[in-house]
Amino acid sequence: MGYVAIKGGKAAIEGAAVATNCLRAANENDVPLALDAIEGQLRLLVSRVVSEGGLYHPKLAALAIKQFQGDTLEAAFALRAYRSTKPRLLETPPQNTAHMRVIRRISSAFKDIPGGQMLGPTYDYALRLLDLGLVDENPEDFRAIARRFLDDAPDSELPDSFPKVLDALRGEGLLPPLKPVAGAPFDITRQPLIFPVSRAAALATMARAETGSLLAIAYSNMRGYGDVHPTIAELRVGYVPVMLPHPVTGEPMEAGEVLMTECEVVAMFEGDDQGGKPVFTLGYGACFGHNEVKAISMAILDRALQKGMKDGASNPSEDPEFVLLHVDGVDSMGFASHYKMPHYVTFQSDMDRLRTTQAKAGNDTALQKETL
Amino acid sequence: MNNTYELPLDEAGYAFGFMDEYAKKEVRRAILKAICIPGYQTPYASREMPMGRGFGTGGLQLTLSLIGRNDTLKVIDQGSDDSVNAVNLRQFVQMTCPDVDVTEKTEEATLIQSRHRIPEKPLTEAQILVLQVPYPDALVVVEPSEARRKTMHGEADYSRLLVKLYEDIVKFDEITISHRYPTRIHGHYIIDPSPIPRWDVPKLHQSKALVLLGAGREKKIYAVPPYTLAEPLAFEDVAFSVEDFRDAQGNRRTCSRCGAVDSFLDEFSNEAGEKIYQCSDAAYCNEQLACQTRHAQTTNTEVFA
Amino acid sequence: MNTTDMTLMNVWQAHTQQRLFRRLLEAFSYPGRLLDATDSGTTARLAILATLLDGEVNLADPHGLITPEDRRRLMASAAAPEQARFVVADAARVPNFTPALGSLESPEFGATLLLEVEQLGAGSPLLLTGPGIASQKQLAVHGLHPDWIARRADWVSAYPLGVDIILCDAKHFAALPRTTQITQEAL
Repeated sequence: MGYVAIKGGKAAIEGAAVATNCLRAANENDVPLALDAIEGQLRLLVSRVVSEGGLYHPKLAALAIKQFQGDTLEAAFALRAYRSTKPRLLETPPQNTAHMRVIRRISSAFKDIPGGQMLGPTYDYALRLLDLGLVDENPEDFRAIARRFLDDAPDSELPDSFPKVLDALRGEGLLPPLKPVAGAPFDITRQPLIFPVSRAAALATMARAETGSLLAIAYSNMRGYGDVHPTIAELRVGYVPVMLPHPVTGEPMEAGEVLMTECEVVAMFEGDDQGGKPVFTLGYGACFGHNEVKAISMAILDRALQKGMKDGASNPSEDPEFVLLHVDGVDSMGFASHYKMPHYVTFQSDMDRLRTTQAKAGNDTALQKETL
Repeated sequence: MNNTYELPLDEAGYAFGFMDEYAKKEVRRAILKAICIPGYQTPYASREMPMGRGFGTGGLQLTLSLIGRNDTLKVIDQGSDDSVNAVNLRQFVQMTCPDVDVTEKTEEATLIQSRHRIPEKPLTEAQILVLQVPYPDALVVVEPSEARRKTMHGEADYSRLLVKLYEDIVKFDEITISHRYPTRIHGHYIIDPSPIPRWDVPKLHQSKALVLLGAGREKKIYAVPPYTLAEPLAFEDVAFSVEDFRDAQGNRRTCSRCGAVDSFLDEFSNEAGEKIYQCSDAAYCNEQLACQTRHAQTTNTEVFA
Repeated sequence: MNTTDMTLMNVWQAHTQQRLFRRLLEAFSYPGRLLDATDSGTTARLAILATLLDGEVNLADPHGLITPEDRRRLMASAAAPEQARFVVADAARVPNFTPALGSLESPEFGATLLLEVEQLGAGSPLLLTGPGIASQKQLAVHGLHPDWIARRADWVSAYPLGVDIILCDAKHFAALPRTTQITQEAL
């Protein structure tokens, strides 16, 4: 079943589609995955795909995961391609994450914070011991889990929203005050990145970046190829209401909510430009879905890039071109994969060069031998 | 989570040409500026396509922004219409652009999208060539920073590139660049002409047809307008040369299929381990073969086997 | 206008804009060549603007050539002639501004000027050479104030900076990229 790049391309492609689908359905005793099962039981996988696809649509993300058999790069790519066909109806005004309906909210900077430390659903302090009880999970037991949780939940209600830790730091003058930003935010889907880029362009690029890429570069900064030295002022995960202007009255109304992760890190203090009091510097990370490692990495890189944009980069993580052009999963996986395409004409050209060069080297050696 | 959300299974069909009109307009504006500044890499936002970055999304966005119902499209990869990548792209265009004709014959096409080759048959003013580009910038080999490269291009400061070529000559007695040969357009910008072999570079010079180059991942569009200078870099004592298809005896190899002595040849081994040489440009090869068949029919001579 | 005539294209529709764009492409690829916008059902000026503009770009209209309704449909935001990416102007009037010329790093920000003349194909011949022209090309223009040619020479003198011009009359258009060299023959 050879694939000759010259003939039979169409048949090969069709064959590949059949073979891939067959592998998906190889277990004849299996039942097709329900999208609900993926969305519910693999929610963190769905969160990653929604975040890297740059489209908040958990059901379609679940579909993409099913269709591409769990490959997150392919699934995110499919979402991105889908998004690219959708007409733009309108642009929302900036949304306020202080209104987030949190499911988790912690601060490393303080022992206690107004509203309290809410550990929420996290594996941070779980023991990474494989639970063999999940091997043959009883459906009845499974269905009882959520019911029991809700039955056991205390009657006292959580507040609708929690104050932002950073607001307290600002109030004390330890952080610079918020400055209003003029103009529309940079739209990376409509305008190309021409360096130097704004912080808004950097944040937008990182918000839908591939998690591993962001993590690796952020890690390099944490380990010493940089000096962010972050403390997490606040990490919150929850549902941010999306407020849109009413089509008739113009009043903001809630159109729905999106699950988001937001991380604000406080980094080393520096003197301000006008020679006033030194203040802490801030790094910000936010993305769709429940993706804490990504949000933390993004916040660290935001700080690193701000430093790089201001003072010049002394490490790769501070270099906006290096970071922003190499963290997009669709771009990077596409290019890595493209090496599998036929390259025989270029290779032919390479062989020609090598043979000519070898011949010249051979002649030179022969000449040398003659003259010795 | 919104449990009541229903997936819109009856999604409306795609717009003609898949891309929305705003995306096409942005590409179109970039194309016109690219023609006005020959060889300059014009940035554009570059939408995601359903095929991978690196698989021709830049060329595809150009084609989809250009194509209309009156067009006849040819898509080739490595010179072949039947190569997997070409098949995939062509089928996608046919799917999203109903009423567009496709062809394998170069002379019938109004739009040709190609990866790594320029057709052997000279193009006409009625045709547009779209080349797929992985690396739009000839300077990337000496400077990784795009911002610094932009300055060098603006000032036409290619000294570091010339030094690199010179170092090659000192080391190997040859310019070792095979494909992607740096070529100066309209006396200013040096382009990476995409991974076409050196054999194809002369076709850019004073071409009758417009040549557009699209890099989807790198988000750049550039152009070699018709009737424009396209000069591959060379030195006074080291001229630009194309690939050498002569055998050990100095005879020019011929295509084993059609006998052509003037085309770029693919080299591969057959089952018996023998080296075979064939025209890379499948349409050209077919045309030579058809010519001979007709000739043989009229003169009753044997077809070149 | 006969609204039931199906051969008339609607400049706000995708297929029309694609066809008009291909003609613009030809105009820029082969400077001086006359292209026809008669079947667009409107002026060449509006046909060209509708094809190229949307909400992502801005337009300067210092001589008030575009109606407010068309302006809304074009969606381009307003800008001063010195900053705009697109400028539409009456070619009979003396140019009294310097358009955006771009920068060395980003020459594409040099503006595109759409100059409306009395008639193309008649009047004083411009002699054109440069990319897109096999040897030389003559373009006759009636109603182009000579200052435009003189000012343009300044604007394009520091290549790659420059402006790119589309000339149009009521029905036709031709393009003069910044790379085109123009000499006016003495009458």
